[in-house]
Amino acid sequence: MNVGGIELVKVRENLWEIPATGKMKVPGRVYISQKMIEKGLKDDEALKQVANVAQLPGIEKYSLAMPDIHWGYGFPIGGVAATNLSDGVISPGGVGYDINCGVRLATTNLEYNYVQKRIDKLVEKLFNAVPTGVGASGAIKKLSSTDLKKVLRKGSTWAVENDLGSSEDISFTEESGTLKNADANSVSKRAYERGADQVGTLGSGNHFLEIDVVEEIYEANTAEIFGMFPGQVVIQIHTGSRGLGYQICDDYLKILMQASGKYGFDLPDRQLACAPIKSQEGQDYLSAMQAAANFAWNNRQVIMHLAKNVFKDTFNQSDSELGFNLIYDVCHNIAKIEKHKINGDEKDVCVHRKGATRAFPPGSKLIPQKYQSVGQPVLIPGDMGRYSYVAVGTEKAMEETFGSSCHGAGRNLSRRKAMKNAKGRNLIEELKEKGIVVQAKGYRTIAEEMPGAYKDVSDVVNVMHKEGITKKVAKLRPIGVIKG
Amino acid sequence: MSKNYKFIDHTADVAVDLKANSLEELFTVSAEAFKISVTDFNCLEISDSIEIELIGNSNEELLVNFLNEINFHLTTKKWLCCKVESIKIFNDENYWELSAELSGIKLNSEIELKQEIKSVTYHQMEIVEKNNTYSTRVVFDI
Repeated sequence: MNVGGIELVKVRENLWEIPATGKMKVPGRVYISQKMIEKGLKDDEALKQVANVAQLPGIEKYSLAMPDIHWGYGFPIGGVAATNLSDGVISPGGVGYDINCGVRLATTNLEYNYVQKRIDKLVEKLFNAVPTGVGASGAIKKLSSTDLKKVLRKGSTWAVENDLGSSEDISFTEESGTLKNADANSVSKRAYERGADQVGTLGSGNHFLEIDVVEEIYEANTAEIFGMFPGQVVIQIHTGSRGLGYQICDDYLKILMQASGKYGFDLPDRQLACAPIKSQEGQDYLSAMQAAANFAWNNRQVIMHLAKNVFKDTFNQSDSELGFNLIYDVCHNIAKIEKHKINGDEKDVCVHRKGATRAFPPGSKLIPQKYQSVGQPVLIPGDMGRYSYVAVGTEKAMEETFGSSCHGAGRNLSRRKAMKNAKGRNLIEELKEKGIVVQAKGYRTIAEEMPGAYKDVSDVVNVMHKEGITKKVAKLRPIGVIKG
Repeated sequence: MSKNYKFIDHTADVAVDLKANSLEELFTVSAEAFKISVTDFNCLEISDSIEIELIGNSNEELLVNFLNEINFHLTTKKWLCCKVESIKIFNDENYWELSAELSGIKLNSEIELKQEIKSVTYHQMEIVEKNNTYSTRVVFDI
């Protein structure tokens, strides 16, 4: 099949290959159904971006894309690429502007019927407790540069040390909420300035805080180990490193564009600017990116703490009664040094996940003890009017996708078209009729983020499920949403 | 010149095509498009002005730096750039330099911001000069 000038060869029902041609060093591989290709990729440059990524120096095996693939900057959203540490590169284009944008999901002991009665009040209180919207700031006091440095080094451990979380929270966060080689000195003064008052804020766009109910369970044993039961109220948080991360990406794009020239790389897109991982420029980006990742984990930790306090207050329950426990926190915009099997040999590689979630299997040493028998939770939010999914990583993900899976639904309408579709409608009322209470800083965000603006996340999740990369565990339905 | 920017449909973000009679004017138009992307505030009153100096290795890098500078002032200094009062661009091979005076206003409760721009990208950006008309596309990541 030829899609917009890119040749796609069917490998399996939901797996397509872009043969290595021209300057591509490896083939591209896209996990997607034929229907989704025809519906979503024809007028898009995303497949070309998969082919572009295949040109990166030191790329191993395949340039991959998950079923939520869409047009990004440099890498497509949903892109995964591993580069070797000897002559491979690291690229901010493989991470994105919102470094360690991610999702966390926490349980409660509360049931839907009980929460439903007070949902309006609960949403309002959450909205007041967690700053949202453009340039949101002031969730906690503005950090001094010494404190911010600590956040960049310690990640969510900083929150725990400052009574904004528990050590349990840390153990259920990817990388325990801290990448150890973060270096605050690789972070510019501007990035500090942009981040100083944004700890504990959601921001705008597609970021959210959501109250969901567990609607369906597919794997009873796994769901039980995750602490989930049907009808249970859970909390989902989606945000990242805010202005600090955007600034770090900007700063290093500039530096790595220079470096790409210096190292003689001939790149098809400036947004793929990169440097050898071993080089000073590459190492500096890696440590600054890790600092932003730590900021993001701390950010989600602080927001969770603020949300937990609102729940405790609203339902007048103690910690143990409320059972507000973190299931897991995953990042979906990151580059990490991990061990993977390449042609039979285990090797350290730099795995770029740009709009893709880590999906490690049962028995992985890098996932919590409690999940050893089932695998790592993979959190896949959908739009605010339909549903989100919890899945779990498998051995096949390790074999085929460097332990990665999808991260969300992906848009199918531009913001402008969504605004047009929203004209003359009362979306807040429409969602209310479906049992979803929404509060946002501006009506515009609700219009832009309306359910119809997104693809059906179940199509995305089912591709990965059918291909055995991740297995569905549970489906969540939103009942309360806070947006920027 | 009248309106020299046109917003283009882009699935996830904001894209705008710019056109002008000189490189300086192209930068001025880009600042206008940026302002319209972030707020509908009419800027009838302007409180102060700032001077900026930037460099880049290409005219595109200079444009990205220019718009990101304006975004930095908005997001961090809480200051909205309403107008480019004056702008000068100097070029010597791969060295590009810009100095400009921007006027604007400190954010207040009357200025409603529509969206947060994470960054200005290089995506599809190519400054082209043809028959004394300069044009380019700019994509904002939001």
